[in-house]
Amino acid sequence: MNVFKIAWRSIQHRGIGSFLTILSMALGIMMVVSVISIHGIVSKSFKNSRTFGYNILVGARGGEVQLTMSSVFFLAPPVENIPYEYYLAFADKETRQREMRHSLGMTTVQHEQDSLRLAGLVSGPLGSISGMGHELLAASSKDQQFDTMQFHDRGMFDSWVHTVIPINLGDFWVDEKTQSYFRCVGTKPGYFTELVLDIETGRQFEFEEGRPFNEYNNEHGFNEAVIGSAVAAQSDLKIGDTIQPTHGDPNSSGAHIHETDFYIVGIMKPSGTPSDRCLFLNMEGFFLMEGHEKSIKDESVRAVTKRKREQRELEADGIKIDKEAEFQPYFTPGPARLPIERREVTSLLIRGEIADDGIDSVGQFLPPLINKGDLKASLAWTPFSPESSQEAAMAVNPVEVVTRMFAQFVDPIQWMLLALTLMICVVSSISILVGIYNSMSQRKHEIAVMRALGASRTKVLLIMLCESILLALTAGVIGWVAGHALNFAMSPMIEQQTGIRMGFFDIAPSIPVAFLPGARMLPEWLAALQVSPELLLIPGLVLLAILVGLYPALSAYRTDVSQSLGK
Amino acid sequence: MLKLENIQKSFVQPDGGKVPILDVPSFEIDNGEQVVLIGPSGCGKTTLLHIIAGITKPDSGKVIIDGTELTKYSESTRDRIRANKIGYVFQTFNLLDGFSALENVLLGISFGAKRSTPERAKELLKRVGLGHRLGNKPHQLSVGEKQRVAVARAVANRPALLLADEPTANVDPRNQQQVVELIRETCREENISMLMVTHSMEVAQQFDRVVRLEELNRVVGELRGVAPAVDGGGQ
Repeated sequence: MNVFKIAWRSIQHRGIGSFLTILSMALGIMMVVSVISIHGIVSKSFKNSRTFGYNILVGARGGEVQLTMSSVFFLAPPVENIPYEYYLAFADKETRQREMRHSLGMTTVQHEQDSLRLAGLVSGPLGSISGMGHELLAASSKDQQFDTMQFHDRGMFDSWVHTVIPINLGDFWVDEKTQSYFRCVGTKPGYFTELVLDIETGRQFEFEEGRPFNEYNNEHGFNEAVIGSAVAAQSDLKIGDTIQPTHGDPNSSGAHIHETDFYIVGIMKPSGTPSDRCLFLNMEGFFLMEGHEKSIKDESVRAVTKRKREQRELEADGIKIDKEAEFQPYFTPGPARLPIERREVTSLLIRGEIADDGIDSVGQFLPPLINKGDLKASLAWTPFSPESSQEAAMAVNPVEVVTRMFAQFVDPIQWMLLALTLMICVVSSISILVGIYNSMSQRKHEIAVMRALGASRTKVLLIMLCESILLALTAGVIGWVAGHALNFAMSPMIEQQTGIRMGFFDIAPSIPVAFLPGARMLPEWLAALQVSPELLLIPGLVLLAILVGLYPALSAYRTDVSQSLGK
Repeated sequence: MLKLENIQKSFVQPDGGKVPILDVPSFEIDNGEQVVLIGPSGCGKTTLLHIIAGITKPDSGKVIIDGTELTKYSESTRDRIRANKIGYVFQTFNLLDGFSALENVLLGISFGAKRSTPERAKELLKRVGLGHRLGNKPHQLSVGEKQRVAVARAVANRPALLLADEPTANVDPRNQQQVVELIRETCREENISMLMVTHSMEVAQQFDRVVRLEELNRVVGELRGVAPAVDGGGQ
């Protein structure tokens, strides 16, 4: 029988006492494991840029933390909106050309041109988007820098951009049954087809059921929606159901339900991102809901009215003008879309092109340009100026913001929690000391018998220390399992708060050993290692067990055999 | 086999005074010899056994077992010698409650030099009639069975000398004889010398050599009944 087996038998023999000691310590360890792993995993998920899939976030000027929290984590309310044209400044040429067809300015100019062509006043094919329009409008509105050709051919920043996805926030969906509510995100289908969650593996959002929404669909029009995995899990929503978003925060008095149905066409697989607890609405449908359009300044409207008057004069001269098309999108199938001049977005999720050498130079130089106000130039092409839109945009690197936020607020809390849990561990380990020490009078006789049978003092000291270590390790294993079971049980709640789903075996991410207290004393190679704080529990517990077991072990060491045998 | 030379031992009283308890000029046991030691309570029988076992160190004198002078070694060496050369049977059996009969025997083996094996522990328990009780804990055994386990444990490491401290004191008269016979027979089979302390004249009469401690010990009767307050012997 080795010392471990002897010690284990001794633990078993003191059944209830050992059980209570283990239970008390296991509860402490459960809390430590739970706190460390939840904090570690949530922190990592917040900090890890690869889970974002983008490295630049453009939104209205304001607090960068609020912009990040609202647009990346869907937690805080959004600040303001920015013009839709800013999105086009990052979009590729094909997208810009397609989007410009829904431009109020373009359709008006195009319409005028075609009217003039019909009248035989200018030459060229009907319905072509050509550079002639801007000349005409420049002539009729000299103070406008209307340059559609340039806007078509070269977006302001498109050559540096790999992916740009616009999102709109502000609406919610309220589950009438549970009265819980989830955020609605208006976006493009590219959110599901272009956004890459993990650049290294190329992981994208996947669907449990159904498909991403279409921008336009004969059956559902613009009104298709996709729901995140957590929304699906916590509600009865399924494919084919319809939802009506609520405008504004459901808890505020100004909130009202939109009388627009969105058809659920897809349910996403859990992605471990905040998107899991959102509903995604087709942006085209989102724009057309009441209160989502932006008004245009009077003078802009007057400029168009002037052109309309000219058209009427042409009409009076016997030239036919298609009045239906006046403010309708030109060459666009399906019902009317909101003209792009009347659109706003909350923010743009941008992934810059990464150079072959892997250096994210775009993420470094683009935000300062945007913060300087360069984006405003992208508004110059249109005669329509927004009435109240927030034109000042800012760009942030969400990873940097999150890192700063953590350094300022979360990391100190982490240390506090760790200190607290460490204290819990110390208190629990004292229960081992009390447990063993209380049984010492009975054990002195046992120890004396062992000594009489030939056990040395060192051997009985080792047996006592082993007993302490075994108690701590048993409590450690039970505490670890219980801690992870607790996390798993709380996973839906954690997911709702943070968007992060925790599996049973998700352990706290590794941290550099050099960050640990007292790491300076360690050899360099050891300090350079990375280790999960949960793995540190094992040596930590053994150390604690040795410390608290030392006193009873020394007492056993000093046992007087002659006296104790006689008792 | 066992040789004692000028063994002296005193206990220190709370006031610092020393009370002599043992003064044995010489004592010997031959190889394979079985000796019984009798004497009134408090005359130092158990203390003498502790000194022979190396548990207590005498103030002076030599204890030589199987040619090894036990008294000149450090405590840890004495522990090792005790584990390998001396078996001990206690009056109150002193089986460890958390361990089964087999584990109690294995425990004795584990402290020795690993010359014995778990198979020997089983074989010994079978030999003492407990082959069917290997997994039973002490509280599941009768008094006689407990003492048989204790005997098996004491001889498990094939000691040269077995010390038995009133092994029949807590056993009923019916089992008393069985226990004595078991110890004697086991010692004969294993060629182990034996020194048994007893109060029972009935038991003592069965032995060829009976030693009265009063005759052996120069410290005479006036010290009887003086309980040692503090063990003054070097541990």
